Amino acid sequence: MAREKTRPDSTGELFEKEKLFDKPEPLKGVRVLEVCSVVLGPATCDYLAEFGAEVIKFEGRKGDQMRYVTPYAYFWKGMSPGLEIENHNKYWVGMHVGNPKAKALFLELVKKSDVVVDNLTPGRMAEWGLDYRALREVNPKIIQLHVSGYGSWGPWTGRTSYDAVAQSMGALASITGFEDRGPIKSGVWIADWITGLMCANAILSALNYRERTGEGQFIDYLQVENVIRLLDWTWLYSFKTGEDRKRSGNRDLAICPSDLFDCLDGRVALAAFSEAEFRGLCEAMGRMDLFETYRDPLKRLRDGNARELLDRIAVWAGGCRVEDVEALACEHGFAASRVLEAKDVYHSGHSRERGVIQEYEDPLYGNMVQQCYPPVLSETPARLKWSCRPLGFDNRYVLGKMLGLPEEEVKMLEDEGVVFQWNPDVPSQCPPPGWDGKSGVKIP
Amino acid sequence: MEGGEMDDSNIVGLSANREYAKWAHRETNPEDVPRKPEALDDTLVLDLSHGNFAGLFASSLLAEMGAEVIRVEPPGGDLARKMTPFGIMIGDAGLGYIVEGRNKHHVTLDIAREEGKKLLLGLAKKADVLIHTFKPGYLESLGLGYGDLREANPGLIFTAIHTYGQFGGDSETCSNQPDYDIVDQARGVIMSVTGEPDLDPAVPDAYKKPLKQGNWMGWYAGGAWAAFGIQTAMFHKRKTGKGQFIDASPPEGLMAISNYVMQYFHMSGRQMPRAGNYDYAVFPYTYVKCRDGFTFISGFSDPNWSALCEIMDRPDLRERFPSIRERLTPENQPAIQHEIERFTVRYTSEEIQQMITAYSKKPDKKGTVVTGRLESSGDVLKREHWDVRKTFVRVNDPNYGEVLVQNSTFKSMSKTPGRVKWVCRPIGADNESVYRKHLGLDGEQLRALKESGVV
Repeated sequence: MAREKTRPDSTGELFEKEKLFDKPEPLKGVRVLEVCSVVLGPATCDYLAEFGAEVIKFEGRKGDQMRYVTPYAYFWKGMSPGLEIENHNKYWVGMHVGNPKAKALFLELVKKSDVVVDNLTPGRMAEWGLDYRALREVNPKIIQLHVSGYGSWGPWTGRTSYDAVAQSMGALASITGFEDRGPIKSGVWIADWITGLMCANAILSALNYRERTGEGQFIDYLQVENVIRLLDWTWLYSFKTGEDRKRSGNRDLAICPSDLFDCLDGRVALAAFSEAEFRGLCEAMGRMDLFETYRDPLKRLRDGNARELLDRIAVWAGGCRVEDVEALACEHGFAASRVLEAKDVYHSGHSRERGVIQEYEDPLYGNMVQQCYPPVLSETPARLKWSCRPLGFDNRYVLGKMLGLPEEEVKMLEDEGVVFQWNPDVPSQCPPPGWDGKSGVKIP
Repeated sequence: MEGGEMDDSNIVGLSANREYAKWAHRETNPEDVPRKPEALDDTLVLDLSHGNFAGLFASSLLAEMGAEVIRVEPPGGDLARKMTPFGIMIGDAGLGYIVEGRNKHHVTLDIAREEGKKLLLGLAKKADVLIHTFKPGYLESLGLGYGDLREANPGLIFTAIHTYGQFGGDSETCSNQPDYDIVDQARGVIMSVTGEPDLDPAVPDAYKKPLKQGNWMGWYAGGAWAAFGIQTAMFHKRKTGKGQFIDASPPEGLMAISNYVMQYFHMSGRQMPRAGNYDYAVFPYTYVKCRDGFTFISGFSDPNWSALCEIMDRPDLRERFPSIRERLTPENQPAIQHEIERFTVRYTSEEIQQMITAYSKKPDKKGTVVTGRLESSGDVLKREHWDVRKTFVRVNDPNYGEVLVQNSTFKSMSKTPGRVKWVCRPIGADNESVYRKHLGLDGEQLRALKESGVV
């Protein structure tokens, strides 16, 4: 817009995407063993993998449940999109770590690893003799994170949690939805993704601490509690007023104006809380009388005032086109944007330039375009290297390269069923149809 | 409750492995937290967040882990203090701010003034991390951009949080917009697929529109991503001594976790509609009405669906919707939902929970069904589990009185648990101690700065 450019051109240069693969990875050399299924645990490890950690993922015979969770039961080249989204840059081993022979192999890997993550029922790893005490015995520096709905102890330990349970038990669902309608679950498995992100934060702190002191540790992480943590002022409000926090649609009860408005040709999200931003909005609306009345942000937040003001803005926005409101926001210094959909971001030059949408050729699945995890780091950026893999795809690489097992021994373990590969009768465990038997295979 | 006297059942709960539960309790006993070390207590963070809870949450996470966080506000206090439901204030802070003021040292500084700039530069020389949420270009215009600060401190991890990021096409056009949660959510894709179901004819058209998450999810996810970036950069810095520039855009934080919507578009060329409480990839996996509100219920895979049909005594449903192909269509899901609710409305959420727990113990069970009540915020505050796990911290604060805030979720780290040491501080309350400790200012100098309005 008509605003003096104050940023040095070098900001963009710091992040040049052509140099992505020349830059170091911050977690290179960190080896993570993933004993996880579904979304939460695998996402935790995925965040680490895209920043350079070497993640080895273990699956049982049936494979990760996400091999079978996909919209409308849709599969692409045999692959479940549900499996792809939380599994990048990983090494895939078919091995049930509860099997006594597998356990020994697993412990050998623990000796050479930094982090073990599990999202099984609390205590399951202990039953297999693989809880933190056992891991620490073979590797005193190991960090183990266990994540479950309610944690490893307490009155509700042992209860099963899923994403939608965490949303409901943590009260996110009860505050999401329109004022005069029922509660609404997120359109995505948000309590899985966001809990995984906080798990990754916990692991990073433990790694930072270990870098200082050489000490590992055990981390018990609670998914439902994580949802509770993210609900901003909800708890203090209920504590102080004795009232439940109610649903308020897209209206923000703590920032005014902040809401979603209907325009002539679509919808626009808009916010302007500071006096200067609100003045800008009133100028754009040609309603300086509103500015005089509601200059004070705290006055605007009172329920009656807020409703009246939002009604006025709704009337104005109803006569505008979305792009005009967006342009006015840039000019007058308030916030306004359309609601972006998948295709908007997919095709966005902005997102591709920033490397948060990356395009690459996967040796198994061909051309891929998808998100790479933020934030964007100038020296040690995240990157996508490869996609999800068939069950047991990297058995030989992991056992050969990392444990030094000769080919005959791997073969024996396969014959005994200790390690295994995809079942040819289950397409979503298998390589894509027409796979040449070589592409994507990592040579030990 | 004293740790040693805690009733066993409060520790082992429904655990299948009581010995493990007891061990885990010993390792992560909340009573021991104050005596244990902190993971990041060698890290100095400057938080210049400006009316923005993404920045505040990022620095909260680091502060919970022990980082020394200096929270820099303009002399009148930051706008975020006023972001509070219905305008409720406790002293100089609203409810949102009291939650995220935790463990931070609060100072004031007018960085637009020459003396203020010098002080900030002095602090930045000593800091490991700087967080800001100004409009892109603002700090640069003051001579406090990354280029300037890197020169003074090559180890600095400079973290800029803004909707449109610090570079890229949209950043060029929209850098005069401030960063707000509603816009972060709107640009984060998740909002486009959240809301009442598009394809359910029973829903009035007026409600068929995008819906934000009820909380500040754009800001909280944005802050969690920023903290994650900072911690990876700190890990790199410990090995190389190098700092860097972190560009954290909250909508990118949401877009990155928007399930398979992007992948499905890439593979099929189609977009997902809003599904409401249905789920077109896994169903039943939904909130259903029950006698005392709503509860979650699932039975997705064939065995689990069989189990649910058995619990409801509805073998006909299993025959009518035998595989995921029938259960994942937008046409069938309202019908399945309706049939389940015919059963669940007869019971309370607790009765449903008990029925399902009893079924899960049957030797000939067909599969696993999961439930969980749809709790209100008041319900959550009453639950014993959260009390025992110390999910909330209740204190009588000298400045803010009786308050209750959510505890650090890192509190169950065995060696370096996260914690809340204090909830919040008044505007400028730590000026003297911080400026003395880090810049050696004496009372005289501070008084002069105060008189000229710099602090």
